[in-house]
Amino acid sequence: MPLYLPIAELSMNIFIVIGMGAIVGFLSGIFGVGGGFLMTPLLIFAGVPPTVAVATQSNQITAASVSGALAHWRRQGVDVKMGIVLIAGGAVGAFVGAQVFTYLRLTGQVDLMIAIAYVLFLGVVGGLMLWESLRAIMWQRRGYVPPRKPREDRHKAWIHALPFKMRFRKSHLYISALLPLAVGFFVGFLSAIMGVGGGFVMIPAMIYLLGMRTNVVVGTSLFQIIFVTALTTIFHSVNTQTVDIFLALLLLPGAVIGAQIGARIGLRLKAEQLRALLALMVLLVGVKMGLGLVVEPDELYSVAEVTSFEGAQ
Amino acid sequence: MRSLVLFVSLLIGLAGSAQALVTDLSSRRIEIRYSFNGAELILFGAVGATSINTLRDEYDVVIVVRGPEEPAIVRRKERVGGIWVNSDAMRFPSAPGYYAVAASRSLEEIASPVAFASYGIGFKNLPLVADSGTGRGLTVPPPEFRDALFRLRTGEGLYRQELDTVAIVDEGLFRTDVHLPANVPIGEFIVETFVFQKGSMKARHRINMHVDKEGFERAAYTFAHEWPFFYGLVAVFVALGAGWLAGIMGKK
Repeated sequence: MPLYLPIAELSMNIFIVIGMGAIVGFLSGIFGVGGGFLMTPLLIFAGVPPTVAVATQSNQITAASVSGALAHWRRQGVDVKMGIVLIAGGAVGAFVGAQVFTYLRLTGQVDLMIAIAYVLFLGVVGGLMLWESLRAIMWQRRGYVPPRKPREDRHKAWIHALPFKMRFRKSHLYISALLPLAVGFFVGFLSAIMGVGGGFVMIPAMIYLLGMRTNVVVGTSLFQIIFVTALTTIFHSVNTQTVDIFLALLLLPGAVIGAQIGARIGLRLKAEQLRALLALMVLLVGVKMGLGLVVEPDELYSVAEVTSFEGAQ
Repeated sequence: MRSLVLFVSLLIGLAGSAQALVTDLSSRRIEIRYSFNGAELILFGAVGATSINTLRDEYDVVIVVRGPEEPAIVRRKERVGGIWVNSDAMRFPSAPGYYAVAASRSLEEIASPVAFASYGIGFKNLPLVADSGTGRGLTVPPPEFRDALFRLRTGEGLYRQELDTVAIVDEGLFRTDVHLPANVPIGEFIVETFVFQKGSMKARHRINMHVDKEGFERAAYTFAHEWPFFYGLVAVFVALGAGWLAGIMGKK
């Protein structure tokens, strides 16, 4: 059944759209990740213009993160103070990201930037995750238990030397506000240019860089993601008019149901194997995007309807 | 049935006027709604009794459908440091968003290239200019960029040159199908019909057609472009509400 999307200006089969939502939701449920980094490339592969895919995905992530954030909120799993500092950084990052996005769209380089950003981040994150999970699997086979690091060693000396220290009670932290601000900024920037929530960068940063208590990590990151993707949606609407509410809403039901089923299956699998699988998937998407950059395309030319040429000067 | 009415009204129209040629479309107003997946139109035409005697002489029909003209940028990728990057760009300030040529025979059998050039029939006879963005103003576009525009838009179903034929139904009557893809641009379309005989143009007729988003699709599009900030705000609240609802439904 075809459905005309008024903002994307194309007609898509409604069942394919819902199905894509379900597949990504299922995978994100199994692995406990947001799924934006899978959905945006999938939309692009399905023929949605990359700018529409990225902007719409921000809107969809807001919707997809609400119920999770509420659940964490109810069980006291959100560090609001930390969240607000992350959001402050994220707002600036998203704003800068959206400006860069708009400028590159005018000069015709936005698709390239989206692809490079994906290749870079998926490559690095996937590679690190694969290495780490394979090591954990090896250790488990040999029966080796790594020694726990003492709590005092969590932070490097330079982190303690930073000014503007703040106390985050729920996270059990007393650190410089600059650090979460910087993490928030970076994640907000990625959110605007890649159409992701940024959990795959923020959660490791919260654990390893900030040293937050792990039981507030996911809740706080979802809390931040809701606000930052909401801002990103508004920035993209204002700058490029590429947010398609209908596409975002169509992706949602499949994503929610898929995630529920995925989460149940995810519980039965071993954590290390799960992470290794996720890492492989992340790398696969990265490689697919990377091939698009290096392999000579069949068609060297592309056509776009752009009303302004100023940016190219 | 509808086509029959169209036929009859055409014939009455012809009898009442001294026009050499009359055409009409099965629909002059195309509405893009949620279920829009392209449109198929039928164009009917009748050749009247003037200098052409349709009973005695063979004739040819060429129909040109031209969509609204809008700026388009054609970019060419080049390999820079191992990756393929858009480098050269050519801006066409007024390229037709839709362009179709249908004929009763292949164009070269109907008339000479010079004849088609003088009436601007065929993509290669369109007076396209381009702006290379280097501040030299408008120039004649390099042929490779022009060809690329034609090739890419043909791939999208927006340019259809000699892909459809005009069927001569009866001595003075002819018809053709007009295919509009789902990604058809909105705006005013011009449908021009030319009748050729022995290589020279004998009659021409022109009608307009309008394509527009309607109803909810029009409202959403206008809202997004006229009030983008509020559109974004609404998008966020809709997402929050839908996400919350979906969470409740998912639990059950």
